[in-house]
Amino acid sequence: MSLLIRNARIASEDSATLREGDVLVEGGIIRSIGKGLSAPEGAKVIEANGRLVMPAMFDAHVHFREPGQEAKETIATGTEAAINGGITGIVMMPNTKPAIDSAPVVRMVLDSAAKNSRIPVYTSGCITKDRAGKELAGIDGMRGLGVKMLTDDGDSVADPAVLLRAMQYASEFGMFFASHCEVPELAGPRALNEGVVSYRLGIKGTPAAAEEIIIDRDIRLAHAAGAHIHIQHVSSKIGMETIRWWKQRGDVKVTAEVAPHHLLFTEEDIGDFDTHYKMNPPLRTKADTEALLQGLIEGVFDLIATDHAPHTPFEKSQDFVSAPNGITGLETALVSLYHYFVATGKFGWDLVVKRYSAEPRRMMGLEPVPVEEGRPADLILFDTEAETTFSLDFMKSKSRNTPFFDKTLKGRVDLVVLGDQILLER
Amino acid sequence: MPRKDLLDIVSLEREEIDHLLDQAVPFKELFTRSVKKVPALKGKSVLTLFYEPSTRTLSSFEVAANRLSADVTNFAVASSSIVKGESVRETVETLQAMRTDYIIVRHSRSGLPSTIARMTKASVINAGDGAHAHPTQALLDAFTIKEKFPDPTGKRVLIVGDILHSRVARSTSTILKKLGVEVAYLGPGSLVPKVGPENVQRFTNYEEAMKWKPDVVYLLRVQMERQDVQYFPSVREYHRLYGVTEERLRRIDGDGLYIMHPGPVNRGVELCDGVLDYSRSLINDQVENGIAVRMAVLYWLKPGGEVIG
Repeated sequence: MSLLIRNARIASEDSATLREGDVLVEGGIIRSIGKGLSAPEGAKVIEANGRLVMPAMFDAHVHFREPGQEAKETIATGTEAAINGGITGIVMMPNTKPAIDSAPVVRMVLDSAAKNSRIPVYTSGCITKDRAGKELAGIDGMRGLGVKMLTDDGDSVADPAVLLRAMQYASEFGMFFASHCEVPELAGPRALNEGVVSYRLGIKGTPAAAEEIIIDRDIRLAHAAGAHIHIQHVSSKIGMETIRWWKQRGDVKVTAEVAPHHLLFTEEDIGDFDTHYKMNPPLRTKADTEALLQGLIEGVFDLIATDHAPHTPFEKSQDFVSAPNGITGLETALVSLYHYFVATGKFGWDLVVKRYSAEPRRMMGLEPVPVEEGRPADLILFDTEAETTFSLDFMKSKSRNTPFFDKTLKGRVDLVVLGDQILLER
Repeated sequence: MPRKDLLDIVSLEREEIDHLLDQAVPFKELFTRSVKKVPALKGKSVLTLFYEPSTRTLSSFEVAANRLSADVTNFAVASSSIVKGESVRETVETLQAMRTDYIIVRHSRSGLPSTIARMTKASVINAGDGAHAHPTQALLDAFTIKEKFPDPTGKRVLIVGDILHSRVARSTSTILKKLGVEVAYLGPGSLVPKVGPENVQRFTNYEEAMKWKPDVVYLLRVQMERQDVQYFPSVREYHRLYGVTEERLRRIDGDGLYIMHPGPVNRGVELCDGVLDYSRSLINDQVENGIAVRMAVLYWLKPGGEVIG
């Protein structure tokens, strides 16, 4: 396939300034970038008219519910949702049923991905068997199938001794750890932040301290073990400051992620028990949101990840406490980041590319995919003038549990190219 | 404009509260007549769906509905399919198919009545959900206070006890503030949230709270069943620090204060025995007024809204 994208603006992680030019893709490679390129015979030509070409996104934190809860999402529907959002690579979390805690389950997942996905699917593996926090999972077997990230996401490893031993053991294999940070005894029914809204709604909240304690504990353990620790979905100001403090020390490898919903929403958005704002860690206060945004701009957060967590409408239509935690994010992340932050001048496209495309790939030991001559084509075309309505027709995910459902935001993913394939064209 | 549902006090306008409290007056007068019934809701069906045990609230709603000539059915949760694992949605769909006009719900989960209200065209009345809201209790409390203080603006009500787990504290303090009453909370530090509602004073010391000069001391039942961890060392210590002891009762009497309590009372915990004979106890007035305000609520709501869930 040959593809010529004319008159585009090109975003990269290295520069806030957008380059202007044409991009020619041939045989899955970005053959040349320049002005006035001529189309090879038979090439598909797209007049970009100022639309953006940029590296495709990579989401290092998604839940695809396969195996075990395919009514919510499968690898097939989840990866199509990713493509719909401009994402060409994902890392699955292992809290499936059964949990991804051994080589046979990893193989099952990878086999399904090979058959059902048009984009690369990576999976993390559990730290402990069945995420129970007691016995170590089948670490070497999973490593042999390419697993790099170990996590019991959905829960912390409650016993610090178990986590420390796991870190000492698995770091020797070059694996790293991702931490869902939460003291279970403080977490209550894990429905919302402890604060004015939890008081108003009469639901026991989860204090930010429940998260902050484990952020600090797990980094200390990684420090002791000489392990790489990645802190997942940080939601609190003090949590962010804790990570910043440890990073400034410089004697432990810490990375961290923030989710778009924690940058965009606060506990006040829950309103009258709206379960589309129920997630774990919970939405916190405006002060937290502002601190997280500052942390992202400063680079305390290495990456943006959605924690895409699909649930069926039936489950989410229960009362607030009974409804499961989590919202979908793959299809809304990039557009919402543009609508709320790039279009309003809070940060530039370079941050989006760095934090949502390049850094997550680097963390997983993969090469970033800049739009440069000679690089493999792994890019998207984004229209900053168009709009996206997140309607049922638009959604490729099996689930629609997002606060953006049926809402319209500025920005649209028009094209997704991976190697020799056009995965999406609007 | 009448509403379809009554789910909380927060969303009620001042005019709506005034209307409901005014409407309860003639309904209460009805109780003195030999025939205590009016045909206002004749032919309408009222269903009570109580997932939590209750004596006074359930019977109060039943009496209120009967006095309006509605047909009342008590949906017996303990013998229903709910114990077989039927979801709330399935239950509500069943009730919807039966063309029930009013569903009165009590549940231990905060927000469940709101969830049900979104699923049905019937009018849903929240009869208490978790620690969230108990709007008819708030209305009867406000009605009772207005009987003693027709213009309650500037009066002071001290709510004492387990504020954290109390739906009564939330709803009653909300309605009182809407009526211009000053509200303060008193209780152990672990049970009086620091981040509570605005304009509510927070006390953790009885003597300090009494210096605030309340007109009404509103005692809450200590709800041991809602306490998942230990919030205070012992009931004895609670009574000593926060209960109305015999000695405190004498001082309250000397200051001419009223006492209220949503019931049932834990004797020897929040209240000493002697308070039951206390001349300015409004506890029985609250029970009687509960029927009148619940009649007003049933009469006011209009079933038949759009189902959005």
